[in-house]
Amino acid sequence: MTRCLRFMALLLLASVAPAHIASNGFLVARVEGSTISGSIELAVRDVELAIGVDANRDGKVTWGELRASEPRLVHYLEQHVYLSAESRSCPLQFQALRVNERVDGTYAWLPFSADCGMDVRQLSIRYSALDDIDPSHRGLLTLTAGSVVQTAVLGGLDGAAIFSLYAPARWGAFVEYLRAGIWHIWSGIDHLLFLLSLLLPAVLLRRGDRWEPVPRPWPAFMGILKVVTAFTLAHSMTLSLAALDIVRLPSRLTESVIAASIIVAALNNIFPLVTNSRARIAFAFGLLHGFGFASVLADMGLPSGARLLSLLAFNLGIETGQLAVVLTVMPVVYALRSTVFYRRALLPWGSAAVASIALVWFVQRALLPSG
Amino acid sequence: MPRSDAQVLVELPAGARHSAVETRDLARSRLDVALPLSQFYISRARATGDLRFLGYAEAILNPWQSRVPLLPEVLVLHATILQSRHAFAPALTELDRALRVQPEDAQAWLTRATVLRVLGRYDEALESCRHLAVSADAAITALCSESLRSLTGHLQSAYATVAALGQQTLPPEARAWRYSELGEMAERLGNDAEAERWLKAGLQLAPEDFYLRAACADLLLRHGRAGETLQLLAGYESVEPMLLRSVIAHKLLRDGSSEQAQARLAAAFELEQLRGDAVHRREQARFFLDVEPQPSAALAAAQENWRVQREPDDILILLRAARAAHQSQAGEPARRFLQQQSLEDARLGAATL
Repeated sequence: MTRCLRFMALLLLASVAPAHIASNGFLVARVEGSTISGSIELAVRDVELAIGVDANRDGKVTWGELRASEPRLVHYLEQHVYLSAESRSCPLQFQALRVNERVDGTYAWLPFSADCGMDVRQLSIRYSALDDIDPSHRGLLTLTAGSVVQTAVLGGLDGAAIFSLYAPARWGAFVEYLRAGIWHIWSGIDHLLFLLSLLLPAVLLRRGDRWEPVPRPWPAFMGILKVVTAFTLAHSMTLSLAALDIVRLPSRLTESVIAASIIVAALNNIFPLVTNSRARIAFAFGLLHGFGFASVLADMGLPSGARLLSLLAFNLGIETGQLAVVLTVMPVVYALRSTVFYRRALLPWGSAAVASIALVWFVQRALLPSG
Repeated sequence: MPRSDAQVLVELPAGARHSAVETRDLARSRLDVALPLSQFYISRARATGDLRFLGYAEAILNPWQSRVPLLPEVLVLHATILQSRHAFAPALTELDRALRVQPEDAQAWLTRATVLRVLGRYDEALESCRHLAVSADAAITALCSESLRSLTGHLQSAYATVAALGQQTLPPEARAWRYSELGEMAERLGNDAEAERWLKAGLQLAPEDFYLRAACADLLLRHGRAGETLQLLAGYESVEPMLLRSVIAHKLLRDGSSEQAQARLAAAFELEQLRGDAVHRREQARFFLDVEPQPSAALAAAQENWRVQREPDDILILLRAARAAHQSQAGEPARRFLQQQSLEDARLGAATL
């Protein structure tokens, strides 16, 4: 009967819970390449329970007592906080003990660094501080890798918590390479000039030795589609081959041939040789443009672990930029196609201008000493 | 950084010393050490309002929990810890395990009644009270069932019965409990003067009873008696629910002296949320209603609280939050519950409807 009643008042606490924050440790970790830097904080109260700090047993823990216990605290943390990168251990190197004031009291604060000996892509953290003394103790983790911050609650029944640093980082890389691709097609005016040289006549038909406007939008659209698709297919293939180091061409050669390709495409508009299958020109030279794109990518480097994804992103960026140009220019060209100005001035003289610019590039790239 | 080696970083509360490590080790192999030690930690949690002690008690019980044959005392203590953390479903599971081994365990039935009552499952709670009759004192059984009847349409008669229940017929440990029940019933009847008398009488008997102190503070705050609230709570501010009420009192007085305390509360709620604990959602809702007005955050906390527990105060907070957020339909679950149970509460009229 007495036992029955001993907890009576406690039962009523259900509604006003015993307060005070439960016991928390704070773990901060920043991953940079193969190294991790961060800190561990444990409440001084919890440190006392874990290793015994109050040397004179007066119920008060002083700074001197805590400092005197530093080696034992370090040892305790080494036993209870374990970091590893893909099963390679990252031993913690602790720096000098400090303290930090938090809302619920004073915390022992130990900054650390750790070297995993390899790029950390997946970090595993086993946190078992106080698990035999207070199973409700938790480690509150803030993990930073690049621009991505993750938080997690460690401890309790869970064994090791595993954090993939690439899943979020990959997305960041994806965006970065997509942007690089778009930017490259915009700033890399040689690719655009080549494409436009092939597209300018797409709104015209060659009859004998005269240009005539296409009567309906459909054939013009199909012509554009074929050229763009052929160019895209070709450069995507060689871009991938080069970016993945399967095929390599000297950049001087590819850059020169790219310039030459523009001259050929532009001259073909003035002295038409190939009129019905410009898509083939687009494909053939597109192969070389792909190597040109690859040289940009080589400068940026592909992040290990996300090579294919970044390559895809870069390629998608190029197609996006290219599509934007085509969608902007072609309706204008289509609208102008019936004018004498377009057929007699813009197409021939514009192409001549493009050819001369490309000639300058060709001379620079192929004949002048590099440097 | 501390200025000198002599600077005190922390004062250790009794029961939180490393020197207990030998006793703790002994508790792994000896049940006659484990039981009183975990009971000691639970009573420390009760007296100090410090959640860490519940963890210490849990660690002591851990190795004994899965012993075969089952140890009902261990299971009941574990259930007590769980329900103090508002983990009500696991608490019920432990109690049912205990009762299968020892069907007449009065403490288990009483704890079960308490948990079911907090969950608003009054019929089942009443059923648990009836089981008490076999092994417990008649006055205890009456207190258990009358307090439940007061929530299901028999407030007036239950109040009369419990008031007539002589204090002397109850064992000393149950006397403060009777006062708190009487205080609550009087409040729900709208008789705040009597309620205050009961609650204060209870506090005389059990000054460390946070439940009673909080109830008393809430009553005073409802009447805008901020100064008296501060007096009542003086010295108890280290316990967050007490601190919350003290901050509300300071707000009422507009004395602008509670900013630090406010920050401490906000940080505590944030940490709790980060951990995924749901222990103080009701307090959190109250914080966002009465301290830092953020009606939508208050409603979110009150709704989350409602998913966990259904005491009269939980009804009150959900209705208040719904009204503050101008989302009357969000209070619908509470209104439906009131109707189903024919629960009477005079505070509802004034505060929410």
